Amino acid sequence: MARIPASYLTNRMITLVLTVLIAATLIWIIPRLSGLDPASAALGRMAAGGGSVANADQILAQLRETFGLDQPLLVQYLLYIKNTLTLDFGLSTASFPTPVSAMIANALPWTIGLMLISLVVTFIIGNLLGALMVWEHTPRLWKAAIPVAMVFTSVPPILSGLLLMYVFSTQLRWFPLSGPYGLNVEPGWTIDFAGSVLYHGFLPALSIVVVTFGFWALGMRGLMITVQGEDYTTLAKAKGLRPRYILYRYMIRNAILPQITAFALKIGMLVAGQVLVERIFAYPGMGKLLYDAILTQDYPVIQGVSFVIILMTALAVFLVDLIYPFIDPRIRHGG
Amino acid sequence: MTEPNAAAPETAAPDATGLSKRQVRRMKRFDNPWRNPKLIWGVGLLLGIIALGLLGRIFWDTDMVFTGSGLPRQAPVGIENMRGQVGSWAHPLGTDVTGKDILALLIVGAPNSLYVGVLASLIGMSIGIFLGFSAGFIGGRIDDVIRVGSDVMITIPPLLILVVFQAAYGDISLTIMAILIACFVWQSPTRLIRAQVLSMRESGYVQMARLSGASTGHIMFREMLPNLVPYLFGSFIANVTTSIVTAVGLEVLGLGPQRVPTLGRVIYDAINSGALIQNLWWWWGVPTLLLAVMFIGLLLINLGLDEVSNPRLRRL
Amino acid sequence: MTILDLKNVSIDFPTSAGVVHAVTNVSLSVGKGRRVGFIGESGSGKTTTALSAMRMLASPGFVAGGEIHLNSLPQSNLLKLGAEEMRRVRLSKISYIPQGAMNSLNPVMRVENQIWDGIVAHEGGVPQDELRRRSDAALASVGLDPKVVAPLYPHELSGGMKQRVCIAIGVCLNPDLIIADEPTSALDVITQRHVMQTLRDVQAKIGAGLILIGHDMGLMAQSVDEIAVLKKGELVEFGPVRQIIETPEHPYTKELISSVPQVGGASFLDPAPAAPARGDAADNGQPLLELRAVSKRYGSVTALHPMSFTLDGEVPKIISIVGQSGSGKSTMGSLMLGFNDPSSGAVLFKGRDINRQSADEALSFRKEVQAVFQDPYACFNPFYRVNHALKFPFERFGLSRNAAHTREAMEEACRAVGLAPETVLGRYPHQLSGGQRQRLIVARALMLSPKLLIADEPVSMVDASLRATILKNIHDLKDRHGISIIYITHDLATAYHVSDYVMVLHKGHVVEAGPPREVIGDPRHAYTQLLISSIPWPDLDRDWGSSDDARAALDRLEQLEGRPETILRGDIPGFTLSQG
Repeated sequence: MARIPASYLTNRMITLVLTVLIAATLIWIIPRLSGLDPASAALGRMAAGGGSVANADQILAQLRETFGLDQPLLVQYLLYIKNTLTLDFGLSTASFPTPVSAMIANALPWTIGLMLISLVVTFIIGNLLGALMVWEHTPRLWKAAIPVAMVFTSVPPILSGLLLMYVFSTQLRWFPLSGPYGLNVEPGWTIDFAGSVLYHGFLPALSIVVVTFGFWALGMRGLMITVQGEDYTTLAKAKGLRPRYILYRYMIRNAILPQITAFALKIGMLVAGQVLVERIFAYPGMGKLLYDAILTQDYPVIQGVSFVIILMTALAVFLVDLIYPFIDPRIRHGG
Repeated sequence: MTEPNAAAPETAAPDATGLSKRQVRRMKRFDNPWRNPKLIWGVGLLLGIIALGLLGRIFWDTDMVFTGSGLPRQAPVGIENMRGQVGSWAHPLGTDVTGKDILALLIVGAPNSLYVGVLASLIGMSIGIFLGFSAGFIGGRIDDVIRVGSDVMITIPPLLILVVFQAAYGDISLTIMAILIACFVWQSPTRLIRAQVLSMRESGYVQMARLSGASTGHIMFREMLPNLVPYLFGSFIANVTTSIVTAVGLEVLGLGPQRVPTLGRVIYDAINSGALIQNLWWWWGVPTLLLAVMFIGLLLINLGLDEVSNPRLRRL
Repeated sequence: MTILDLKNVSIDFPTSAGVVHAVTNVSLSVGKGRRVGFIGESGSGKTTTALSAMRMLASPGFVAGGEIHLNSLPQSNLLKLGAEEMRRVRLSKISYIPQGAMNSLNPVMRVENQIWDGIVAHEGGVPQDELRRRSDAALASVGLDPKVVAPLYPHELSGGMKQRVCIAIGVCLNPDLIIADEPTSALDVITQRHVMQTLRDVQAKIGAGLILIGHDMGLMAQSVDEIAVLKKGELVEFGPVRQIIETPEHPYTKELISSVPQVGGASFLDPAPAAPARGDAADNGQPLLELRAVSKRYGSVTALHPMSFTLDGEVPKIISIVGQSGSGKSTMGSLMLGFNDPSSGAVLFKGRDINRQSADEALSFRKEVQAVFQDPYACFNPFYRVNHALKFPFERFGLSRNAAHTREAMEEACRAVGLAPETVLGRYPHQLSGGQRQRLIVARALMLSPKLLIADEPVSMVDASLRATILKNIHDLKDRHGISIIYITHDLATAYHVSDYVMVLHKGHVVEAGPPREVIGDPRHAYTQLLISSIPWPDLDRDWGSSDDARAALDRLEQLEGRPETILRGDIPGFTLSQG
């Protein structure tokens, strides 16, 4: 039935490919610009950080091979791009010889799970509250309460994470301090385990939600005010439609469109915030992995994690872009 | 629908009776958007932080940012720490585990965070204005390149690239950090200005200016730019927020400047030394609160500016 | 039997300067099945009055006094209904056809869904096939093919189709009263006639009362039974259409009627001065403006097919380019101003190609060729006082000797267009009315004393009573100041009066050209004839045709595709035209 116009699709594909390529290139170029031999530099930092290094020779050889240091620069670069695109980031220097990709594979589900829940919940709550701030039939109490709740919304999630953790974990002890699930449950497809995961994931997710919903609420408020002034909203009212129906089918339905575009653009920022939250809650996702890698100067892991997160972001943006034409008929019909 | 409203003043002489004083005051505010309480409060909060930095340097000994300036783990004034010691005026906001004075850290650190934010945002805005005008004005290939470029760069989380950078280079200064962050905050102003320039380019007054023999420079800077001011301000403030968030993020990961006190660095030290478990809440709590004040101030300014550039957001 | 009674209705809008009485003490009735026109200029309260019957006033307006009765309700006072009761009245008893048909349909909903949701909101669960049957019937009643149109999204419809969908929505529940708020203001005359005829037909069929809001006395004369004239929120005259048009009593009504220019009617211009100002021929004997086989394509769309003309400018002339939207007339304007490069051919000013000029030549070209645009609201930079628009070019072109001289020139130009300098200069654009702004733009052109003025729809966004004045101002530029003018317009009646030569453009081709008395007074080309017969005249004895005629006319228009022949109706000295 509905077809996505080819030009739209190519455009988005180009953006996706360019994003991934540029990110990969930046990650490759930055250490090279520092003008040091990346392999021995990395090893040097490891030694400085952790004292003596076991398997130093092996690690050095592995690094030289990964970086392809005996090859010309261009070949090194192409080799790197090829490896990166096949998700081969070499071996971790800190927990040698574990492949970086295996470490990422362990951490990724946690991050994706947390991200999906927090992003989606934030988006829904934020937009709904923003819409209610404008809707003329919103109860008075709500209209007064929403702006007050917004006070926290400009704060980065790391700060809210700290506060929530302090209040609910260390003081009230309602929620666990860290970890993805309780020590007493066995991982598996059981209700106990799922409950434990949700219980442990609640605070990290909440700390993202409380501070980011306001961004959506504010944007939605502006869009809703515009939509409220549109002729079609006036006509909807003149048609004697029920207020709630107008709110959902006419106002939110139209106001949400730019928000979805903004969602795609904001994913990058939100993911970065989440990385920090994971680090505070010791949640075993990509953020934690990244943080540990920074502490141990594990350069291949830093590169790999950064690239995978950027790749995820780019894919998420692409996915939103793919869904968008199905929500806005004007794109679908090349309008 | 809006016609009666817009044309109302021409219709008949207004009648000043029948309105309460409060209504009149709200409407005056509607007419002069720059005088809105959000803007004033926001600016006030930021000025408070700047004042803390300036006055603090005069009235407080900032050398106490160094290790061992006082006894470790002291609580703020009037509060007992875990060892039952009551905080004293020597360290009104307490000390950390190495005896650094928290107040001194804030006095030095808070303006640093603001400095990074403002500098990064200024650079980002300059790039954005340049690229946005180029894309909107010249169009064609250049526009395509700039448009796709900003689309691509906007999806890359700056934090991660900066993590890679820091990990490769080690310690950096505040200014270098600001410049690095600036590389990732030019995209939204570029997009915003490009869109505005594109729509303004077709506007009547720009055509009139062209008819008047105006140079491209005149059209860009004398005709278009003044009308972009509220948008530029808004974008600037939003970017200051983004930049500070990114900077604090780096600092909390321990990747910020190592030798200069920053708010993020204080929090990093606190988390790393187990301040949460040891209940040294003032160590991380006070800088967190200060950052929150900073962000709320920026948010209020942004909300106020939104009302300036979009009259529909103003409510009677 | 009346369906709607307004009794002493007053409507107030609180503003920062105090309460504005938008409508004061208006009383009138709409009879069952009757059509009543509300006419007035912007700010007259006509829309506000009509919307008060729907209880849909824009915030913060409110009905400050009076009663509004809808007599088909058991409890007829609309102002006493609760919110839910009022909701049920809308569409089922009183329906509203909005002004901005372009944006009145929900862009993410199919046309049929937008009819269904109205039905469902008032009748509850109606089976799907019943819904479809009724939406199809409603669409068919406004002359749209339900099979094609029903599943489309609004952006896939033309302006006229959107407006007819809005009418279909408005009549689908057989209301007792229809309020149509300038339903054709954004449409071409040909489409306007079709839409108005459709509206009249369906209204007559369901026997509803109709309130038609508008500012065009001609359209009113052709469409309604009674006219209510509003001025500054007061009802100044109300009566049967014939009485209002033929024997108006209030001076304001007379003014509204006389401000409609008519083809063949008395000219609203002053008789030409005995010794008209001379233009000057270019020093090198070249014509003032020459188009050499100029064409313009946007991608695969040809906006303008190759055409050539020469305007020698020795005796100033007004050349009108007449056409509907999409005819290529505005493209011609921007080509002549050098805002656009032609796809082929060349535009020459005094023998120089305007797209191949040095910086100095470009500046002198700008000095000698000026323009007046359609939208007087957009022409002033909101950041500056209006003086900026006059002062800047005056100084830029080196016309100013000193600040006092500039000031003097500005004041003189203002007086020449009938503006008191002290009331307009030094103010910000938003403090001035549209008419004042447009006259300032004319004053600006006068100050710079160009050789050529491109006037692109200069009066289409100005209130009717001011149109004549502004056209007079523009005409004076030719007569008194020797400026040649290219007048671009969709309005044949004004073109008839002001111009020396008329070109009718259709889809980028000139279809008919010649002196206005021939081309407009006695059109030969089918398209010109169609345009002229579609104009609504404030003349009750002139038949505007039925909606079948209108549809047939639209069909004829479709057949004019391809390359139409050009009918040349005679020449005037100093101007030659050739297609190709």
